[in-house]
Amino acid sequence: MSVLSAPRFVGQRIRRVEDPRFLTGRGRYVADHEPVGTLHVAFLRSPHAHARITRLDPGPAERAAGVVAVLTGQELEAAQIRYAGFAGQPIAPLAVDEVLYVGHPIAAVVAHSRRQAEDAVELIAVDYEPLPAVVDPLAALAEGAPLANSRAASNVCFHLEHQPAEIDQLFQEADLIVRETFRTHRQTAVPMEPRGILATWEPVAGMLTVIGSSQWAHGLRDGLAAALHLSQSKVRVVVPDVGGGFGVKYGIYPEDVAVAYLATRLGRAVKWVSDRIEAMISDFHARDGIHMAEAAFRKDGTYLAIRDRMVSPAGAFMLDGSAAVLETVIGSLVLPGPYKVQAVGFTIDGVLTNTTPLGTYRGVWGPAATWVQEGLLERAAEKLGLDRVQMRLQNMVRKEDFPYHSPTGVVYDPGSYQESLKLAAERIGYADFAREKAEAARQGRLIGLGIAAFIEPTSLGAWQPEPPTVPYESAVVRMEPSGEVLVQVSVNSHGQGHETTIAQLVADVLGVDFSAVAVRFGDTAAAPFGGGTFGSRSITVGGGAALEAATKLREKVLAIASHLLEAAVEDLEIGDGAVAVKGVPARRVTLGEIGRVAYWIPGKMPPGMEMGLEASSRYVPPPMTFSNGCHAVVVEVDPDTGRVKVLRYVVVEDCGTMVNPNIVEGQIVGGVAQGVGAVFLEEMGYSDDGQPWATTLMDYHLPLASDVPTVECLHLETPSSTPGGMKGMGESAMVAAPAALIGAVEDALSPYGVRFQRLPLTPERVWQAIQAASQPK
Amino acid sequence: MNGEAERTVAFTVNGSPWRGTVEVRQSLADVLREAVGLTGTHLGCEHGVCGACTVLVDGRPVRSCLMLAVQADGAQILTVEGLAPGPDQLHPLQEAFWNHHALQCGFCTPGMLMTAWALLQEHPQPTRAEIQTWLSGNICRCTGYQNIVEAVEEAAVRMAGEGGRA
Repeated sequence: MSVLSAPRFVGQRIRRVEDPRFLTGRGRYVADHEPVGTLHVAFLRSPHAHARITRLDPGPAERAAGVVAVLTGQELEAAQIRYAGFAGQPIAPLAVDEVLYVGHPIAAVVAHSRRQAEDAVELIAVDYEPLPAVVDPLAALAEGAPLANSRAASNVCFHLEHQPAEIDQLFQEADLIVRETFRTHRQTAVPMEPRGILATWEPVAGMLTVIGSSQWAHGLRDGLAAALHLSQSKVRVVVPDVGGGFGVKYGIYPEDVAVAYLATRLGRAVKWVSDRIEAMISDFHARDGIHMAEAAFRKDGTYLAIRDRMVSPAGAFMLDGSAAVLETVIGSLVLPGPYKVQAVGFTIDGVLTNTTPLGTYRGVWGPAATWVQEGLLERAAEKLGLDRVQMRLQNMVRKEDFPYHSPTGVVYDPGSYQESLKLAAERIGYADFAREKAEAARQGRLIGLGIAAFIEPTSLGAWQPEPPTVPYESAVVRMEPSGEVLVQVSVNSHGQGHETTIAQLVADVLGVDFSAVAVRFGDTAAAPFGGGTFGSRSITVGGGAALEAATKLREKVLAIASHLLEAAVEDLEIGDGAVAVKGVPARRVTLGEIGRVAYWIPGKMPPGMEMGLEASSRYVPPPMTFSNGCHAVVVEVDPDTGRVKVLRYVVVEDCGTMVNPNIVEGQIVGGVAQGVGAVFLEEMGYSDDGQPWATTLMDYHLPLASDVPTVECLHLETPSSTPGGMKGMGESAMVAAPAALIGAVEDALSPYGVRFQRLPLTPERVWQAIQAASQPK
Repeated sequence: MNGEAERTVAFTVNGSPWRGTVEVRQSLADVLREAVGLTGTHLGCEHGVCGACTVLVDGRPVRSCLMLAVQADGAQILTVEGLAPGPDQLHPLQEAFWNHHALQCGFCTPGMLMTAWALLQEHPQPTRAEIQTWLSGNICRCTGYQNIVEAVEEAAVRMAGEGGRA
């Protein structure tokens, strides 16, 4: 139940408090920090997808102008410096004798300037003996395939399987089985601020301080402490302004470990800021999954069961947050999406390949799984001759089904599945679309309508008995002697606006003006421990912790006021920066007066009460909190060029209580733009021998202002059971947009009977599909 | 290394003169950030695509990662730090970006503002399509551009109302 009654700030479109510094060029990102005497690092990276290093001579680089040191993998190996990958498997930050992907770091040059370091990298002499490269995950699984890593026993690095007993029966009894292979392409998140880290070392004290561009300050601290054999109390991570994350700044990277190690070794401030070309090959890659899916239906449209065999190329290493695990395992839990089925079966293979390691990018499991979910349903509706909206409505989890226990074992909390779909269909003009499409066809135009109903499992709590992710978030709320409020939270912001939204929540609980609340995060020396920002959790779990802590603090404030006013707590009300006796506004005490008493005058405090005004909370949410909604889109395809234009785009979003609709809509519109990029523009391709094709922003086409549609956002609000009733939503548009856009293009090409199995839908691929299809029927 | 490695350059930044010795190979962006101390100009790609480093050189938008500092000798440079008319004030573009939630992580924002400033100099009342075309040289990964375009529209209206002040 929401702790927010009659909110004054929650729900308002308040301008963000963080914006003035960004608008005036006063944001401070990692690259903007430069202590006097800072040394700069540049990395030597492998030009080969797979090779043995037969000789490495750093001598010429060490003698170059301005160079202070050259670090090799051998030195780190001797010092036993490694960081933790999946299930704690150690990963060497720098390659020692075998390089496993193009971009694999081999050595680090430290110099007085970045320019000098980059110059000297080219002087390191390396001889390589190329080895066979494994790029395609299906080829990697084949009998006799070369090993992607000569130390691995097999290319299969992860396997999980679950086929419930009843699933074969359901498929046997089905009137229709739809089979399709859906293959997403490789992408990377490309936050506009490249990754970076600045490490300083206090000798004798043995204290490492790191300024890093990270979504998770405590994770970076603990990862570095473990890798460098330091105690956690001797590592401090400070996350300054972060220029976007989208998943790729969650976790630890080899460059983090190497730079921090160099600071300890040299006793100097050491800094590395990625350039874009190395970002394209060293930031986690994402997607690139294969779903060989089949779904069983009755002829009346009833959805019975789904089976999916998933193959995911993990890249050269299984990272701690490997997408080969997260994309597939989370996908397996929500494969049916908002629809009821009786059984879900899956087989997952994670495969080592000689490509950049696969990690998290906004939506993680979602873009692929929602495409599978909606793509199978669309095909079934077509084959059964049923209306695709009606068939969706018929199978959706209904209001009376909540809490809905999915056969996968997860529980869906209440949402508005049918209502969202109906609203989106109405707003996009579904009922009239057949006529609109026919009219367009008479003019020789191809238009199509796409729909993606979605659920998003957000705000992970204890979703497994021993969850691999921190199952809570933390907040400390402190009222200063002045009555103003300082909030420390464990979730980080890299654009989400926590300084604003969390202040809105706390201001309402404590009855102070929004401007009297300051929100801080990102410094492990000040912020409480937590899981950081991932998986659409910040406002639900971080905000939930802030609400709980603020509620505890309010109780203390009221208790002190009760003592000072000689009135019962039940007779008091808090608001406008004061506590007053209900109905007797003259009998009031301001929060500043309460603060003065609480910090300075023990004799006026209630007997036995601790001095000060501070409360903390660690809020453990339900295992998953599901937001839901529906995307509907109309596109036009130019059959001569294969180019797709979005004509209109509607999003219905239900993320429970909205703290700040501006920020919710900002996440939606930004997510749709990334969906446009995913479907039509972006592709991190590899040649058969493992050379990446897209290493600049000239080759990797991010959506531009001229590429994105105008998005109409509509809201439904089904509150969750979390303290404020919020649900996560930062990834939802990325979860749904690809399926909606692909569906729209297929609908536009329905005269040709085109269905897509691969992405992206570049003009060439669309044009080829039209050419390959028979003439219009 | 052939030829001279360093040269003294002088230019005006945000109305103040600056003079210093730079490596001839240094980009204007690096000199603005490292030597002049104006870190509001951001480096997002360092190969001239993302537009985050856009500054105005003699009134024209320039990718400061692709321009050498020595080329700016004698120029008038405007960076995001010089956009506001005075301390504790915002330029109408900055105000409009704030009103419209036209930024999230803030990293591309300085370049967006400088490009939008140049647009409004040339087209004080731009169409939506003109705004989209002008801004298509600046990449934003967060917002999906919708609010940025709306902000530029609002700023155009406000600035027209204020007699075209820029």
